[in-house]
Amino acid sequence: MDWTRYRSSTWDELVASDGQPRPAARPLLDYLSGLSRHELTERQLAADVTARVMGITFTVYSEGRNVDRTLPFDLIPRVIERREWERTAAGLRQRMRALNLFIGDIYGDQKIINDNVFPRELLKESVNFRPQCVGVKPPLGVWAHICGSDLVRDADGTLYALEDNLRIPSGVSYMIENRMVAKRVFPELFETSAILPVDNYPTQLYDTLAALSPRPGDTPVIALLTPGIFNSAYFEHCYLAQSMGIELVEGGDLFVGDDDVCYMRTVYGPKRVDVIYRRVDDMFLDPEVFHPDSVLGVRGLIRSWRAGKVALANAPGAGVADDKVVFTYVPKMIRYYLGEEPILPNVPSYLCHDAKDRAYVLAHLDQLVVKPANESGGYGMLIGPRATKREREKFRRLIEADPRNYMAQPTLSLSTAPILGGKEPEPRHLDLRPFILSREDIFVTTGGLTRVAMQKGSLVVNSSQGGGAKDTWVVDLEEAA
Amino acid sequence: MLSRVADNLYWFSRYVRRAENMARLIDVNGQIQLDLPRGAHIAWRPLVNTLGAGAQFERLHGGETPHEADVVRFLLVEPDNPVALRNVVSHARETLRTVRETLPQDCWVAINDLHLYIESNPERAGSRRHRPEFLGRIVDGCMHVSALLTANVSRDTGYQFLRLGTAIEQADMTSRIIDTAAAGLIQARSDDDAEAFQAMQWMGVLRSLAAYQMYRRHLRQKVSVELALEFLLKNREFPRSVLFCLSRIQGILPQMPPRRQVEQVFRGAMGLVFDANPTRLAVVGPGSFVDRLQQELAALHGAVHESYFQA
Repeated sequence: MDWTRYRSSTWDELVASDGQPRPAARPLLDYLSGLSRHELTERQLAADVTARVMGITFTVYSEGRNVDRTLPFDLIPRVIERREWERTAAGLRQRMRALNLFIGDIYGDQKIINDNVFPRELLKESVNFRPQCVGVKPPLGVWAHICGSDLVRDADGTLYALEDNLRIPSGVSYMIENRMVAKRVFPELFETSAILPVDNYPTQLYDTLAALSPRPGDTPVIALLTPGIFNSAYFEHCYLAQSMGIELVEGGDLFVGDDDVCYMRTVYGPKRVDVIYRRVDDMFLDPEVFHPDSVLGVRGLIRSWRAGKVALANAPGAGVADDKVVFTYVPKMIRYYLGEEPILPNVPSYLCHDAKDRAYVLAHLDQLVVKPANESGGYGMLIGPRATKREREKFRRLIEADPRNYMAQPTLSLSTAPILGGKEPEPRHLDLRPFILSREDIFVTTGGLTRVAMQKGSLVVNSSQGGGAKDTWVVDLEEAA
Repeated sequence: MLSRVADNLYWFSRYVRRAENMARLIDVNGQIQLDLPRGAHIAWRPLVNTLGAGAQFERLHGGETPHEADVVRFLLVEPDNPVALRNVVSHARETLRTVRETLPQDCWVAINDLHLYIESNPERAGSRRHRPEFLGRIVDGCMHVSALLTANVSRDTGYQFLRLGTAIEQADMTSRIIDTAAAGLIQARSDDDAEAFQAMQWMGVLRSLAAYQMYRRHLRQKVSVELALEFLLKNREFPRSVLFCLSRIQGILPQMPPRRQVEQVFRGAMGLVFDANPTRLAVVGPGSFVDRLQQELAALHGAVHESYFQA
């Protein structure tokens, strides 16, 4: 494979602007240079077959049907140097501590509002604020046990936090399976380089969940609550339940008794459940409290949770901090709760509810990315520089009608990494989603899930919109030397 | 063990066992066709009824006398035939997909692989030249899954539901395959041929159940209707005989949460097979006995369903 002509228009994760490999990526690129195009194609094919046979799928909704697709996997890994990763992980731990304190405060004394650091009106308009959660004190004071934060790198090499997914973040199973595929395809590199492992995540997640049990001392009964086989992340639900050895349950498998205890229906009769890792959205969790017609949830679950009879991860209401407008306050939260300076910078943001920011946004629609506060999956956003005039006018009207629901960010040029293109490696934009587990201490995955836009020039990396994935290598240069 | 999971494990093993038996049955009948003299042929149509797809076949093909290739394609790969082998395998896969976390990963890989093979080679079902290899691959795929279950799955309650599903399905398929012979698949040209063809037909039944060699070893005699029925219904050592399957269930039930209804229905089925008289059945034909046996097995399934899956 020939790298001599490979150049990116922005920061590239593997190749510096002078065409030289970055130090952590050098062994990889040397190795790839030694492979013929034919050998690479063969390995890509092997990787695709492995993914297909392992059944690594996600579900897309199209034309009213659910279709299982395999997540496109690009062979060339993304490489991060260990020292850089350690700084990033420290930044992520800091964010999570502040975010959990914020959520607890919001459902408790609301000190941050009374001290005029966070505006009360934002809370009133938040669709993720759950009045049903006010006054609840979950175990260890943790609300968001599992978080997937999206990080992006700008042209100057700075790594920014783009958003924190605190509701039901997904993708971690791809991170683990991508590594399994990569190990099959590049066994030689894993022998000679110090690539840090990623497969301890299920053990860490199990410990995080077990720590929440309301019956400490006994082995807890833990279940993963899935919306079922038609959910786009069903593969992951199975994968995680299987690798932790916990029950995978659907709403219909559970019920809450008159004693407020949550039970599973088993062939022996009802069995008590202590901890539920729920992958069902808040609003569908309990028809008694939220959407009355939800069939995905369990009637009485919130009652059981409030009574402390069952633990829910993430706690209902944790999404109040998972809102693109609230996101902009994270640096302030860090200073307010921890008295520290943020280690990881936020992507600069403009809030449309603020008159000054809004005027700026409306005047610069052609340069900004505009996002609704509560959508995920890359839906409903405007990429100003690429939008038509009509689309920009549509967003102007949307913003003026509901300013609280919109925020804007400069169009970052998202860093790239090479993918196996037609004849030569070609740069594609990517992001990184590490996963963070909060209990007494905080665990951060080694690297995370690298999502890559497979289309040339595209900035949208979501799997629902044609994105793919790469394995992510955190490489220890000191150990290798 | 969640009731829903038990239900799915039970059906997963039933579907796998069903697919394997169907593949053998169709393969063997294809082979017999090749051995028949000109003018005699396999009547494939009764096979469709035996496998419970008569009505659907009528809808698709009407009253015409079907060609071999049409029937075989219908039984193997017709997407609109809910009991086609292709759909049986895809049901097995879908069923396992919803409980994937309960079985070792390689079971999923194996069934997924089989599903992908069928989906990418459906045209092979219609071709006489490729069909044996196609069906052989399916039998192998099913046996691979069974072997993984036997070798790698802990003997917990879930495993008992897998075994129960296999045992009930095999008893049911054995009875259905006996039924195909009762229906007289080989169309003879004359009465003289009929006797010769009958032996051929029962050899076919034994082969479809991988029983021919074991039959010879146990009985050391040529194939007769009476002995074949004795062997397939009441042999205590051959694992696809109906009695063997029922004895296996007898061993499974004490390892599951006790349910009186299941035990009661089970005793009924066991009694029927105990009392069966192959000598008489050989004379009057096994048809109505097989019907009763299938009713008993359906009742047993119903009792399991109500007692464990709907609780």
